[in-house]
Amino acid sequence: MKHFFTVVFGSATLLFTAQNEIPAAQVTVFAAASLTDSLKQIAAEYEKKSGDQIAFNFAASGTLARQIEAGASADIFFAADETKADALEKKGLLVSGTRKSLLGNALVIVTAIDTPAIHSPAELTNAAVQHIALGELKTVPCGTYAKAYLEKLQLWPVVENKVVPCESVRAVLAAVESGNVDAGFVYKTDAAVSKKVKVAYEVPAVDAPKISYPLALLKDAPQPNAAKKFIVYLDSEPATAVFKQFGFIVLASAPAK
Amino acid sequence: MSGAEWQLVGFSLRMALASLLLILPIGLALAWWLARKDWRGKALVETLVSLPLVLPPVVTGLVLLQLFGRRGPVGSWLHNTFNCDVVFTWRAVVIALAAMSLPLFVRAARTAFEEVDVKFEQLARTLGAGEWRVCFTITLPLAKRGVLAGTLLAFARALGEFGATIMVAGNIPGRTTTLPVAIYQAVENGEDTHAWTLAGVSAVIAFAAVFISEKLQRWRK
Amino acid sequence: MAQVKDAILTANFRKQFPGGPEIVADDLRIGGGITVLFGTSGSGKTTFLRCLAGLERPETGTIFFGQENWFDAGKNYFRAPRKRGVGFVPQDYALFPHLTVAGNVSYGLNEMPAAKRAVCVTETLHWLGLEGLENRLPRELSGGQQQRVALARAVVRRPQLLLLDEPLAALDTPTRQRLRGKIQQLLRQLGIPTILVTHDRFEALALGDRMVVVADGHNQQSGPVTEVFNRPDNLAVAHIAGTETVLPARVLKVADDIVTVAVGDVKLVAMATDFPPEATEAHVCIRAEDVMLVADALPTASARNRFSATVVAVERDGPLLRVELDCGFPLKALLTPQAAAEMKLQPRAAVGVLIKAPHIHLIPR
Repeated sequence: MKHFFTVVFGSATLLFTAQNEIPAAQVTVFAAASLTDSLKQIAAEYEKKSGDQIAFNFAASGTLARQIEAGASADIFFAADETKADALEKKGLLVSGTRKSLLGNALVIVTAIDTPAIHSPAELTNAAVQHIALGELKTVPCGTYAKAYLEKLQLWPVVENKVVPCESVRAVLAAVESGNVDAGFVYKTDAAVSKKVKVAYEVPAVDAPKISYPLALLKDAPQPNAAKKFIVYLDSEPATAVFKQFGFIVLASAPAK
Repeated sequence: MSGAEWQLVGFSLRMALASLLLILPIGLALAWWLARKDWRGKALVETLVSLPLVLPPVVTGLVLLQLFGRRGPVGSWLHNTFNCDVVFTWRAVVIALAAMSLPLFVRAARTAFEEVDVKFEQLARTLGAGEWRVCFTITLPLAKRGVLAGTLLAFARALGEFGATIMVAGNIPGRTTTLPVAIYQAVENGEDTHAWTLAGVSAVIAFAAVFISEKLQRWRK
Repeated sequence: MAQVKDAILTANFRKQFPGGPEIVADDLRIGGGITVLFGTSGSGKTTFLRCLAGLERPETGTIFFGQENWFDAGKNYFRAPRKRGVGFVPQDYALFPHLTVAGNVSYGLNEMPAAKRAVCVTETLHWLGLEGLENRLPRELSGGQQQRVALARAVVRRPQLLLLDEPLAALDTPTRQRLRGKIQQLLRQLGIPTILVTHDRFEALALGDRMVVVADGHNQQSGPVTEVFNRPDNLAVAHIAGTETVLPARVLKVADDIVTVAVGDVKLVAMATDFPPEATEAHVCIRAEDVMLVADALPTASARNRFSATVVAVERDGPLLRVELDCGFPLKALLTPQAAAEMKLQPRAAVGVLIKAPHIHLIPR
């Protein structure tokens, strides 16, 4: 009996404290969900060229910021919203001088392939539209952008009751794909990746809020040097070509505020 | 606690109570069948009923999403016939709570029924009672305490349900946000005080329910 | 087996309990009046009753009540208990613990309109002497009261067959004796065909019109109660019926209805109609209460059997005394204590024994 407990307790301790094998240089990137496909492709090419490994954690920018604040271990923060980066900067979690606003995006209204089309935002107020998927306002930048847009059009009070908050922009996409909501707000780049949705309306740049994707090195990065190298690569031609291919707007390389 | 927080608690309580309306008839029937009858596929039914207890709640949620989504077998029928949606509405909350709490109720109720001596049921039959009458006038009253304990347990479990709920009902403040979902969201948003307040309320209700349930179960002896 | 004319219930079935005994009803016929199912505990009599009530389902066979088919294994037909119109009173009464006396008794009257139901219940309670107990719970009642409530519950529905399982067994002796007469009165007043299970001879004699002996799960001899007790068909019945003295004997002479046998050296004269003349051996059955003792020399008496004996032991048997005698063979007699005292019976005392010929019962071998 004694031996039984020793074995069980010992195994549990070993399992609990075991570290995963960390290869030579692994860079951890916490990135907004809308960057999923583009970053994965870029990282695949980069890994071949540099020999470093890139590990991703894709989620809503707010969720990622929260995780970093709580002490999650990461090298790079790539958000869809400046305010998320501001929050981290205020807490001194970003390495100063490394922050830059790399990408822009366009906001679109999508519907499932087989649902009747919506031709303008005003149609969102129709009775036929019962559920509209939006990113969770406090954590998903795309949701905040969408709300700002609808408020500008003075449609928000009517449409507010139909909103189904989702935990990331990809969750919005999935909700629209499943047919359980009638429409959703995502980025143009997300709509492009999905075959099951169609773009019903693209918000013109003049009406849309300013969408900007900041990128920065984190202060407690485990692999700062390898991370810096990757950040430089992201701003270089091979990477920006991929971003453009997916539909992102590449902002002129300028240091952010 | 703010007004919004009280409303949240009220909503959660109402949803848990509504789920009992689903759980009680189905659960009592299942418990009675499992306690009194024997049939070929009985082990399979027992396993299916116990599954939500052991499966990750999100898996149960996934199954419900498939069934009740607008494109799913049940969901599409409801949508086309009654223009009624389940997913992302309070109905999904009730269904998720019911699915997750049913196994607990069935276990407790089944034990309670098994402890009712069959001789009373048999005698009732000689006095002309049909199966329904035997169940409602003899078995249930004699199994009262155990069934009540099971109901309380199911209620507490429903109040605490998270994984399946968030999958199938989402997190729509005022419409499908339950207590556990609100706590999760509060943590996500960094609203720690709010999270701890709600957690406290959750704990108090759960404690009370389980405490009374235990007392009832002991009282039976 | 003596057949019942106008049998109301006929049953032929087998019931096997997994890993347990087999109960066989072999041409069991039961008529009107009160029939006693008599046997020792474990003989299967309760199972018989439960099969008739529909609480157990036999594997094979049939049960017919009048024109109604209650069970037919061949046609896979089984009539549920609630459609048989039986009143069943189990040994432990099984009164519903959560219902009052009134609740228990009125349970079977669900189909009746409420007003009429109340009247029936009150009447039945009154008839059984249970007035004033309507609102008591079963656990607040004495054993005798519980038994009467169980009876009330069963008879209030005017069943077509009443089944009583050891109705007096759970009671203490004084209550049992007191209620025995009351129950006999009640059953006669009811006039419902009744089957009563018991292992008590006095109960069988007091309450039963006819009797069926059950041994080893099989129904054996059936007939009027006294006949079965006095003339057991075979040893098994003789033992169960409680004949105290059963001895092997050689047949000496068979002349018309008089048969002379020898037990050891002692000659006994018995009256036995239809005794097979070719039988050379027989069992002699003598009931203890048929043995008469005389204190002094054997008188001239009408009893054909007269011989001496020595008292071996004297024991109490309820209100009576059981005397063990040695007559060259063991013999048991049943006496009142007064008689024993008058005769100054003690071990080693010498007595005379008188037994009338009709009281010597022979079972040919």
